[in-house]
Amino acid sequence: MFSTGTTPRESFDRLQIAALVGLMLIGTAFVFSATMVSDVAATLPWYQQAWVRQIFWYALGFGAAGALCVVDYHTLARWSLVGYWAVILCLVAVLIPHIGSMRFGARRWIDLGFFQFQPSEFAKLAFILAGADFLSMPPDELKRPLNFWKAIGLMMLPFVLILKEPDLGSALVLLPTGLVMMLVAGTPRRYLVKLIVGVGLLASVFVADILFAPAKWQIPMETYQRNRLLIYFGRDYTHFALPNATPAELQRLRQRQLDDAYNVRQALISVGSGGLVGKGWRQGTQNALGYLPRAVAHNDFIFSVIAEEEGFVGSVVVITLYAVVLFTGLRIAGQTRDRLGKLVAVGVVTLIFSHVFINIGMNIRIMPVTGVPLPLLSYGGSSVLCSLIAVGLMQNIHIHRKGY
Amino acid sequence: MLVVDELKKNEPHLRLVAVGLAVGLCILLAGLWWVQVVSSREYQSHLETQAYRTIRLPAVRGKILDREGRVLAENQPRYNLSLYLDDLHQPFDKAYGELLKAARAMQKQNIASAEKRLGRSLSKAERKQFAFKPEQLQALREASRVRVANGIVAQVSQKIGQPLTFNPVLFNRHYATRLALPFPVLKNLDVAQIARFQENFSGSLGADLELQSVRSYPLGDTAAHLLGYLQHDDRSDEGEESFFNYRLPDFRGAVGVEYGFDDELRGRAGAESLLVNSQGYRQSENIWSQPEPGQNVVLTVDLDLQRAAEASIAKHHGVDARAAVVVMDVRNGDVLAMASSPTVNPFFFTGGLSPQDMQREAARRADVKLRPEINRATQENYAPGSIFKVIIGLAALEAGLNPEKFYDVQADPTRSGKGCVYIGRRKIDDTAPPGEYNFKRALERSSNSYFIQTGLQAGADRIVALIEKFHLGEKFDLPTRQETGGNVPTPERIHEGWSAGDTANMCIGQGEVSVTPLQMAVVYSTIANGGTVFWPRLVSRIEPQDPTSREVATNLPSALVRDRIGVSARSIKVLHNAMLAETEDEEGTGKAAVVPGLRICGKTGTAQVTDERNRVVDHTTWFASFAPFEKPHYAVVVMVEGGTSGGGSCAPVAHDIYETILEKEKSGTRKLLAAAN
Repeated sequence: MFSTGTTPRESFDRLQIAALVGLMLIGTAFVFSATMVSDVAATLPWYQQAWVRQIFWYALGFGAAGALCVVDYHTLARWSLVGYWAVILCLVAVLIPHIGSMRFGARRWIDLGFFQFQPSEFAKLAFILAGADFLSMPPDELKRPLNFWKAIGLMMLPFVLILKEPDLGSALVLLPTGLVMMLVAGTPRRYLVKLIVGVGLLASVFVADILFAPAKWQIPMETYQRNRLLIYFGRDYTHFALPNATPAELQRLRQRQLDDAYNVRQALISVGSGGLVGKGWRQGTQNALGYLPRAVAHNDFIFSVIAEEEGFVGSVVVITLYAVVLFTGLRIAGQTRDRLGKLVAVGVVTLIFSHVFINIGMNIRIMPVTGVPLPLLSYGGSSVLCSLIAVGLMQNIHIHRKGY
Repeated sequence: MLVVDELKKNEPHLRLVAVGLAVGLCILLAGLWWVQVVSSREYQSHLETQAYRTIRLPAVRGKILDREGRVLAENQPRYNLSLYLDDLHQPFDKAYGELLKAARAMQKQNIASAEKRLGRSLSKAERKQFAFKPEQLQALREASRVRVANGIVAQVSQKIGQPLTFNPVLFNRHYATRLALPFPVLKNLDVAQIARFQENFSGSLGADLELQSVRSYPLGDTAAHLLGYLQHDDRSDEGEESFFNYRLPDFRGAVGVEYGFDDELRGRAGAESLLVNSQGYRQSENIWSQPEPGQNVVLTVDLDLQRAAEASIAKHHGVDARAAVVVMDVRNGDVLAMASSPTVNPFFFTGGLSPQDMQREAARRADVKLRPEINRATQENYAPGSIFKVIIGLAALEAGLNPEKFYDVQADPTRSGKGCVYIGRRKIDDTAPPGEYNFKRALERSSNSYFIQTGLQAGADRIVALIEKFHLGEKFDLPTRQETGGNVPTPERIHEGWSAGDTANMCIGQGEVSVTPLQMAVVYSTIANGGTVFWPRLVSRIEPQDPTSREVATNLPSALVRDRIGVSARSIKVLHNAMLAETEDEEGTGKAAVVPGLRICGKTGTAQVTDERNRVVDHTTWFASFAPFEKPHYAVVVMVEGGTSGGGSCAPVAHDIYETILEKEKSGTRKLLAAAN
């Protein structure tokens, strides 16, 4: 029954894996629907088509996650700091002009030929592991302010680096993940409350400045990021026009506002026109006719495609599958015996939840557009790999939970 | 459930996290519910607004037929050669790619030469100067499209053997505003060109033939005034959608029957929706409301009589004659022919004339004297002259005039062989020679003196009352919009500053009396049928274009009585006999109208047209008649402006018309007999 040298393993959490498989199937189907619409796409050889690549990444990720599950998570945690610093190095490297490739005005990827390596995705995982390892110290030690600030520092370093790329969305998801991990670890309430209040104040000032302040007082920020916030809050660009702007200039501002709001508007129309049962697989007109821009339809706005084609029913199915993954993750967190496992599981759950909430929220305009992918459904190698490895970590914890 | 049991194990933090997750997911679900279920219809309509374009499809216009169903106005198919831009967007992209490549090569060259000049490589900021601005890329795109379209047009032009002009400005404008619709390159192909096109280009080229329906008048300018013409008008009708993205060309009647029955003729427009993609190219189309074709309008006009009238005018007086003819059925008021000369070319407004023809037609229309656009049968007031005397005569007979009593016409001292009459100190000339005249002789010789005397005796009141019964001076409210009411003295007028001289003028159809030929046709029909004033009828029925359609034809009511003049049968008989003498007697002025085998009753007339200084500048000549004497059926009124005399100018035209009438009757009975046997 017990084999010496290796920790005994339980079986996988089957429910979570079933939900995972469901999500992967949906992902394949809708990446197909989102990308196989133009005549150009149909002429590509099969190995270059997006949905085939997505299956490839699924397979690779599944394999990596499986490989990870062989090793006990405690062992992994011992190497967490090494991984953390390696990822920080990559994040710095990506910012250097000739290493990181510039796309759409952001430097987020290192071009490795066949694979666009996105360090920020791996940074999230590394942070969870390193953070969990750090926070799994005895609760009394945590009460010390120094450790509190060290934990904050651990979170802020990748946050700032990712923010510099610029990639506001990925940076943002680090925050709730870190905070929840600190909460579950047992950090004293008052520290957290003060932190949250402080951050909240800062954020309000920040947003107020973006929205209302005249040009002189504005915090320097990328134009497109500011515009996204303006669009989200429904703020008219013409408020920021110079006082003596001509009608032509005002018209141009309004036109730019319309253009910037275009993605969100089209996403809303896609989601809304789906109705209760949707239009049917590959029958969505928004995508086929190009109203939902092809560049984003298969990653950031993949949910719009699903919502248009499968309606409210489809949306509920997707959310249910994510809910299953998340709540089984919480169950895993509850079943572990040590703090490390609990923290890692909670960290992964919060990470996935943040992605889901921000991305779907972005599609229905309850969150500003921030470029956060939908785990497992969005097209993109790094995102798929990291999502699967994250779930693999949870499975790892589940399998090795009786390690003594 | 799954998680709850685990969390009961005293894990407040995990419980908090679980609650947080649940709340977050519920927010998402609520948001999705709001967008996808509650607001679904609103978003669907946004989608349709941006993705659908509506097109108004005009219906096929109804035909206009004569009383025997012969076509006077119909529609002809017209083929246009057009470019269908949605088939072309791949060639556009390819051409753009090529142009872009060339432009980039040029850019590289420029950078290289700049570097050579400076002797070093350029910095990033300097390189930016050479970068393509959005306007340049836009211009490249336009150029690529123009190049592709031009190429296709050149190809087609070579094959069909017709040099085609391609206007890049028009093309770019079409691309910017009406991308989903085809771009016409050549309009109105003839049969040979269509054949050549079909032979050479059956595959997908991006160019194809487009079918349009165009109004045509196969008989040229026959009944042009009555039919009227069309004008471009693609506005929505009552009860139709008021908003369309595009409207295909549509027309509306401006005058004539085309105007008066426009609602029935034009049917109801349909609507089509096009699905366009985010660039505006057409993806698919869907007709969601078929256009309802218009109905045919059947006139009371008889094409044979119409043609006979027009031909006769042209034969006797030339193409630029200013004349009008009205032929009416005395038994019910049906207008069998209504001709007005000079005529207009009906294609002046709808196109299809060569530039020289257009110029000529425009010059004609501008001619103040010719005024070809006026329908002289209904739209112009003329002094009736002697043909008015029948009304005077009737009034006098009713007042107790003895038709056999002779009246002495005195000789005119200044003109030998002619009579005259004095009203106070004013002398009115008579064309008839002096002598003894009874009613019959006075009418057949058209003696002014006799009728002035009898008129004065009968009294202006009686005459005006009778005029009122004929409803002269009033409009018929014709649907064709081409009408004047004429002008006659009212009962009030004759009691205010009215002298015997005015009555005298009225008796000879001059002075304050003016009528239209149609009004005189009604007068003579009334006299012919014994006293019933009918409403003139131009349209007999309205029927569906498709004979197999289940819709029924609408018959417009015929023989509508407007009034009865209430004269005795005896007076009518006297008048009829006198009028018969006018054509049949030696002395009669209307001899030229006689057709052997038909007994015609008529009256000639010559009215003076004076300018403001009362100098005679022109004559209006008339011949008003009805036939056959035994059982009156037809009334024919001919008016010629600037003629010599009624008998000389107008009666010959009436003669030709009566000949045609007789022919028709004979062949009609022949057919009946043939059918019976």
